[in-house]
Amino acid sequence: MRRYKRLIIFFVPGTLLYLGLFIYPSLTGLLHSFTDWDGLSPSYRYIGLDNYRTLSENIVFSKSLGNNMKFMLAVVLVQTVVSLILALRLSKETKTSIVLRSLYFVPTVISSVAVGFIWTFVYDPTLGVINQALEQSGFGNLTQNWLGDINLAIFSIALVQAWAHIGQMVILFVAGLQAIPTELIESAKLDGGSRWQVFTRITWPLLAPAAAIVVAFTTIQSLKAFDLVFTMTGGGPNYATEILSTFIYSTAFSSYKFGLASAASVLFLALISLITFLQFRILRTDRISY
Amino acid sequence: MKSSLKIIISSLLVLALLTACGNSSEKASTEPSVSTQPESPKVKLNFIHFRGEDVKAFDKLIKKFENDNPNITVEMQAFPSDQYNTVLQPKLLDGSSADVFAVFPGSQYEAVAKAGLFADLTGAPLLSNYVPSLIEAGQKDGKQLAVPYLLVYNIPIYNVKLFEKYNLTPAKDWEGFLALCEKFKQEGIIPIAFAGAGMGPAQFMNSMVMNNAPDPQIFDKLDAGETKLTDEWWVKTLTQFKELNDKGYFQKDAVGTKDEGASALFIQEKAAILATGSFQLVQNKQQNPQLEQKLLAPITVPAESAVFEGIHTTSFLLGVNAKSKHPDEAKKFLEFLSGKEEAGQYANETGQSSTVSNVLYDNELLKSITDEWTQKKTRFNPRYTIKNGDVQSAVLGSIQAVLGGKSPEKAASEAQAIVEQQTGNK
Amino acid sequence: MLLKLLKWLLLIGFALVVLIPLMLVVFTAFKSTPQFYANPIGFPTKLFTGNFRTLFEEQPIWRYARNSVLVTVSTVFFELLLASMIAYGIIRSGRVFGKGMYALFAVGLMIPSQVSIIPIYSLLHKLGWTNSIAGLVAVTVSVLMPLSVFMLGGFMRTLPKEIMEAGSIDGLGEWGILLRIALPLSAPYLAATSAFLFVIVWNDLLFPMLLVNTKEKMTLPIAMLQFRGEFVANYPMLMTGVLVTSIPMIVLYVFLQRFFISGALAGSLKG
Repeated sequence: MRRYKRLIIFFVPGTLLYLGLFIYPSLTGLLHSFTDWDGLSPSYRYIGLDNYRTLSENIVFSKSLGNNMKFMLAVVLVQTVVSLILALRLSKETKTSIVLRSLYFVPTVISSVAVGFIWTFVYDPTLGVINQALEQSGFGNLTQNWLGDINLAIFSIALVQAWAHIGQMVILFVAGLQAIPTELIESAKLDGGSRWQVFTRITWPLLAPAAAIVVAFTTIQSLKAFDLVFTMTGGGPNYATEILSTFIYSTAFSSYKFGLASAASVLFLALISLITFLQFRILRTDRISY
Repeated sequence: MKSSLKIIISSLLVLALLTACGNSSEKASTEPSVSTQPESPKVKLNFIHFRGEDVKAFDKLIKKFENDNPNITVEMQAFPSDQYNTVLQPKLLDGSSADVFAVFPGSQYEAVAKAGLFADLTGAPLLSNYVPSLIEAGQKDGKQLAVPYLLVYNIPIYNVKLFEKYNLTPAKDWEGFLALCEKFKQEGIIPIAFAGAGMGPAQFMNSMVMNNAPDPQIFDKLDAGETKLTDEWWVKTLTQFKELNDKGYFQKDAVGTKDEGASALFIQEKAAILATGSFQLVQNKQQNPQLEQKLLAPITVPAESAVFEGIHTTSFLLGVNAKSKHPDEAKKFLEFLSGKEEAGQYANETGQSSTVSNVLYDNELLKSITDEWTQKKTRFNPRYTIKNGDVQSAVLGSIQAVLGGKSPEKAASEAQAIVEQQTGNK
Repeated sequence: MLLKLLKWLLLIGFALVVLIPLMLVVFTAFKSTPQFYANPIGFPTKLFTGNFRTLFEEQPIWRYARNSVLVTVSTVFFELLLASMIAYGIIRSGRVFGKGMYALFAVGLMIPSQVSIIPIYSLLHKLGWTNSIAGLVAVTVSVLMPLSVFMLGGFMRTLPKEIMEAGSIDGLGEWGILLRIALPLSAPYLAATSAFLFVIVWNDLLFPMLLVNTKEKMTLPIAMLQFRGEFVANYPMLMTGVLVTSIPMIVLYVFLQRFFISGALAGSLKG
């Protein structure tokens, strides 16, 4: 009990700031989900659960939900797998790995709005680097309408999201890998374990905390992705890349339905919490210790 | 004892942080602060808008205004149009961050007007500087709430030399339009550069729909449930979009092309027509001085039933914030911008036509286009008559759907479903 | 042998995937707009440096840079300070309370920011903190608190508890354990977290856009916004801006790389 008293002080300043400037205004925002506020008018009415009812029937909302899931799965898969493979190759402090890690990190440094611009260019059907490269190397039939194809566009953006964050995840994995005592791995190798065995029995379990952070972080990052979609397609063509964050944005800021956007945010919040909770359940991070 | 010391230290830390915030906002105009020059307190106006391309022109005008009015300073901030929505809403809600501001016609103007955030300009002397018919877009319920500052023709631009080279002239009907596109295609020139992922659908739909649905109230009727997107006028428009796409008159994968890509094709003279609007003329010319450009609207009906020759928009509506703490100074600034000379300077430097009357254009291109098209029968931008943002995106989405391969009927009925959800009319 | 080749192919392949789009940024920054429209993606035929000149001569770019540095450094400093205190509190307090606090901050990570924009702005306006760099820092610190607590808490959970207990037995108070044991052991974690934070704060567009009204207080990213207008984006200027804005972060990262993932912690864990 005395320990709590001693510890409470560590929480006070940060928590106060967080509650005061972030949680409190966010809650007032979310409470508007029971109103018909347009985001501009001085007054509004309480309309109970009407916004939620509207959402349950809203075609665009359910479309965004589906797109968001596709986007998240693609990003989590590509981003985690690629960054893990790269990190395993780059965990030693050699010159090459330092150089490559720095290089891979560069996209992370660029703002997501700028990344969106750059890749809009890369993907452009007529001027874009990819299609031109394909055509000039004789693979003209492989060219794609990357951002214009209704079935492809969301995955094209997912790849960019992964491109922009793999370097970050590599760092997290490398930090995790470097925290693994090398003696453990060496002795396992001496005991005659194959590479794969060493990885599955030693490296992976000890890497789990880092992996859990990477996966959880990637999941939330991809669920909440906004800038990239907003700059690259704005949700189009014909809602093919509309995700929840862009739906909420356009509902609040171009359709002037702040109440409805709040309701969508509440549901979005619930969805993210659910996914994160399930993930923690599956990854069981709390059980892992050295 | 020791722990209470720590409590004090941490609270001090928070306090330090918080007061730091308080202190450095001393200039925030929440209070009429004790000024350093008590005799003539300087008024600071905030002016926000979405035309980043005009920043230089505005900088000059503001400097001039500040010289004429030494007690007023104007802080201007320009945001890209897609970010503008984000800042406008919060900044309008407090009176000090946006004394003078711009809005788009259509849903944004409607929402701001409905919320009562425009100071009433009715009867202000500055209004007499404008061409009366060109400021109607800023009127509501008999009040003048804002003044449109720009006049834009949202009609495709064509490459005059390419047309002459193949002995082509703008067509008077749909058959003729298809024929000239075919000719260009045969000659290996892209007939129409179309930014399907950018402003393409929003710009090109106007001239495509203007004669299919000549009723200027068509989208109000859509709102009221008196007409549907599945009705002939819109399905026909979508069918014609599809026809242009299927026949290969747009560049390849048009629906995935952004504005810069489409513009580049036209500027490089690889495409004969750029489906945007007059606002790009001067910019195109800067990038390729060889370019000779004029405007043409596709006529989607037989020549005799064509009601309109083109589209105009009075846009960039400037208003004064009803919550502004300095309404008189804000109006003064607006009045300054409305001056014939100032509006002319702005028009010439930005390459845009003006809504102010008798403005002298020294840019030849601008002058000839404005002279030519003020004489023609144009109608106000149909897209901006859509007052609901969701309906607008459903309408534009149906164009993209058709270009992506959907049948016009299916695309129209899907969009209509969204419209019905929005308006509650079946 | 084949495996080794494959490994190199992978590393170099991804390096190319990273490099090619970045080359595009550099190419574009060295083109004039007519050059750009004539040849959007190719190598600049004639090196054009006018964009940089325009950027530095027509804009108070150094002032923007200074503001950006001020905002970023102070935000990251306060963030790390406050969040590491909380993270430490979480790992030192019992399961229930620690988990509860962790959950409280995790919630913040999940709030979709779109809907918080207007309320946060009105709150700051009521407090008179709009158009102030300190207000901007305070908001950014609180909005990033969940992320920082989440990362630092997650990392610090892996610190060996015995060492801290030992410190406690040696008579160190909680502050002593935090400052002398937990923080030094967490150095690489703090570094990794700050690498995240630096990038996020440096590039943040939303809050500076909302909270800054005057040129004196603008940060680099909002200054770059002006190169995009209603209909026309000045791509070469935009890319020049991207380049100029990103270079400090790249340099910083390369410079601090050794520290970011230093073996310091691994060493102490092994020992």
